[in-house]
Amino acid sequence: MPVQGKNKVSGKTKLEIAVYAAVCLAILALPLVLHDAFLLNKYARYLVLGILAVSLSLSWGYAGILNLGQATTFGLGSYCMAMALKLKTIPIHTGADGLPDFMVWNNVPELPWFWKPFYSMTFGVAAGIVVPMLFAALLGWFMFRGRVTGVYAAITTLAAMVVVQLLIIDQQAYTGGFNGITDLAQFDVAGFTFDAYSSSSYYLVAICLTVSLFLALAVTKSKTGLIVQAIRDQEDRVRFFGYDVALYQIFIFSVSAAIAGLAGMLYTIVMEFASPTFLGVPLSLSVVIWVAVGGRQSLLGAMLGALVVTGTQGALSESETFLDSWTLIMGLLFVLVVLFLPKGIAGAVEKLAGKFGHRRAAPVPPPQLQPQRTEAVANTRHAESLS
Amino acid sequence: MNPAPQSQLLIDRAQVSFGGFIAISDLTLGVGQGELRCLIGPNGAGKTTALDVICGKTKLSAGEVRFRDKPIHRLSEHSIARAGIGRKFQVPSVFRELSVRDNLYIGRSGQPGILANLFSFGQSGEKEEIERLAALVGLQDELETPAAFLSHGQTQWLEIALILAQNPLLILMDEPTAGMTQQETKKTAELFCRLRGKHTLIVVEHDMGFVRDIAQTISVMHQGKMLAEGTIAEIEANQAVRDAYLGSGGIGHA
Ligand SMILES: Nc1ncnc2c1ncn2[C@@H]1O[C@H](COP(=O)(O)OP(=O)(O)OP(=O)(O)O)[C@@H](O)[C@H]1O
Ligand SMILES: [Mg+2]
Repeated sequence: MPVQGKNKVSGKTKLEIAVYAAVCLAILALPLVLHDAFLLNKYARYLVLGILAVSLSLSWGYAGILNLGQATTFGLGSYCMAMALKLKTIPIHTGADGLPDFMVWNNVPELPWFWKPFYSMTFGVAAGIVVPMLFAALLGWFMFRGRVTGVYAAITTLAAMVVVQLLIIDQQAYTGGFNGITDLAQFDVAGFTFDAYSSSSYYLVAICLTVSLFLALAVTKSKTGLIVQAIRDQEDRVRFFGYDVALYQIFIFSVSAAIAGLAGMLYTIVMEFASPTFLGVPLSLSVVIWVAVGGRQSLLGAMLGALVVTGTQGALSESETFLDSWTLIMGLLFVLVVLFLPKGIAGAVEKLAGKFGHRRAAPVPPPQLQPQRTEAVANTRHAESLS
Repeated sequence: MNPAPQSQLLIDRAQVSFGGFIAISDLTLGVGQGELRCLIGPNGAGKTTALDVICGKTKLSAGEVRFRDKPIHRLSEHSIARAGIGRKFQVPSVFRELSVRDNLYIGRSGQPGILANLFSFGQSGEKEEIERLAALVGLQDELETPAAFLSHGQTQWLEIALILAQNPLLILMDEPTAGMTQQETKKTAELFCRLRGKHTLIVVEHDMGFVRDIAQTISVMHQGKMLAEGTIAEIEANQAVRDAYLGSGGIGHA
C-alpha cells in the first residue's frame, strides 16, 4: 500500500472537502439554535433521506448504474432495525410467550429462527448494513456478470424491489405485512436512549450523514472511484486494461447499498416504525428525482437535492391547496431540471464557479484548432452511435 | 507462411462466425517477440476482427490463440489484458469525461485489484510516470483537460499513451494514424520504431506511407483469410495482393 502522506491533495479537492465540511458543520450545529423537538424530528427525517440520496449518487452518478430500486436496500436496513427494536419491547408489546404482537395475532407458535439473532442490538445494526450489501452483491453478481447495463439494469433493480416488497407484504406472520412493524422500543446504546423527538436522535443522524458523505467522497477520490467513473464512460476500454469491470460494479453497488441500509436503520429510529412503503416504487422514484435535481455527479449536490425537494414538499403539503398538486409540481421540476440542468444544481454551481475562476486562466484555443475540435466531437458521436 | 516456432503470439487456424457469416476462416498468424508486424488488407478483410480475437473481444468458433505458449482464447478480456496484451481501438476510445491525467492514471493498471486501488489517492507514486507519458505524446500541457476537448489526433495519441501506461508485452494497434495530420503521422512512426524490440506490435494500417516507414514484415488479409506475408517490396510485387485491392483504388487507398 502506497504511503498517502506524501501525496499532495489537489487544490480542487481541498476546496471540495472544505465545502463538504462546512455544510456538515452547519447541519450539526442546527440544534444549538433550534429547540423544537417536533421540527428536529422532521429535519432528522430529511437528513436520512439525504443519506439515501448520497447512496444513489454513488451508483448512478459515479458508476452510471441507475438503480430504480434504491429503496430496496433502504427498506431492508429499516426492517433489520425494526426487528431488533421490536424484540426490545418484550413483554410490553408482546404476548405471553414473548412474541411480537403481530405474531400473536397471526397465531405464530414461536419466534422464527431468523428473528432470534435480533435479540442482540449489535447483530441488528450489523445486519442493517450487511443484509442490504449482500442483497446488492447478489443482484449485482447476476446483472454485471451477465453484462446487463443501462435501461435493462434499471428495470431489473425495479423488478427486484417489487418482488422483495411483495414478499414482505405476503409474509404477514413474520413481517407484519401491510402494517409493517410498529410500536417499537427506542434505540439505545450502552444505556443512552435516543428519543426520536430530541436533539440526540438528530445528532445521531447528522453524524451518520457526515460519516457517509465523507466515506463516499473518499471512495470517489480513490483510484477505485476513478475506475468506476471510467467504467461509466467506456466500459470496454477499462476491461482491456485488465480491470475486472463486473467486480468493480458489484463493489460500488454494494457500498451504495450499505449506505442506503444505514439510512433505512436511521429512518426506523426517527419514524419509530418500519413499513413496506419504505421499499415502494414512489420512494424509489423520488430518490431519483432528488438526485437528478441536486446533481447526480456530486454527492453533496444529491444530498442537498433531497433536503430541498423533501423540505419543499413538507412545507407545501401542510397547505391544503398544494396537497394534491404536489406530484404535479415535482414532475414538472424534474422535467425542467432534465431539460435545462442535466447535471443538476451542483453542475450549474460548478459551471458558474468555473466561469468566474478561470475567466483569465483558460486561454481561448487558437483558431486553427477549433474546426479540429468540432470534428473530434462529431467523430466520437459517430463512434457512440456505432457501438 | 508457416509461423516461426518461437512465435510469442500464434493465431492457429482461427475461425470467427457472426451468426453464420464467416468473418475469419482458417487464419494463421505468428508474430515473434519484439517484432513490429503490419497487418493490411482491403475494407472488411477481417483485420479488426483478428485483433478482437486476440484480445478476447470476439470469441473463436474454431482454432486457437496462443500467447507465450499458453492458450488464451478462452480467457476473459481482463485476464488476457493481465497476461500482457494491450489494445488500441479503431475508433479512439478514451474516458471523455475524465482529465488526461486521470485517463493515464487508469492506464497504469499494473495493480488491477479493488482493495489496493481503494487506498490509492492522488496518483500515488505514479505522478512522474504519468507526466513522462503525457510529454512523450505531446500532451504535457493538457494534463488537466477533459479528454472530450482534445482534437482527434490528440485523442489518438492519448489512447496510444494509455496503452504505453499499461506497458503490455504485446500491443495491438487498430489504425492508429487515422485522422492524424502528416506531421502527426510521422511522429507516430518514430514512436513505433522506438517501441519495437521492447514490445511486440501488431499494427493495422491503411496508410502505406506509414507502413513503409515502420514495417519489417507485412501480413495481408483478404476476405477473412491470410493472403500474403513478406517485406514491403515482396507485397507490392505480389499479384494476388494487387488483385485483392483491385476496385478499391489500389494499396493505400482502401
Ligand atoms: N459484430 C459483427 N457482426 C457481424 N458482422 C461483423 C461484425 N464485426 C465485423 N463484421 C463483418 O466482418 C467482416 C470483417 O470486419 P472487420 O471489421 O474485421 O474488417 P476490417 O478489415 O477491420 O475492415 P476496415 O478496414 O474497414 O476496418 C466485415 O464484413 C464486417 O461487416
Ligand atoms: Mg477495422
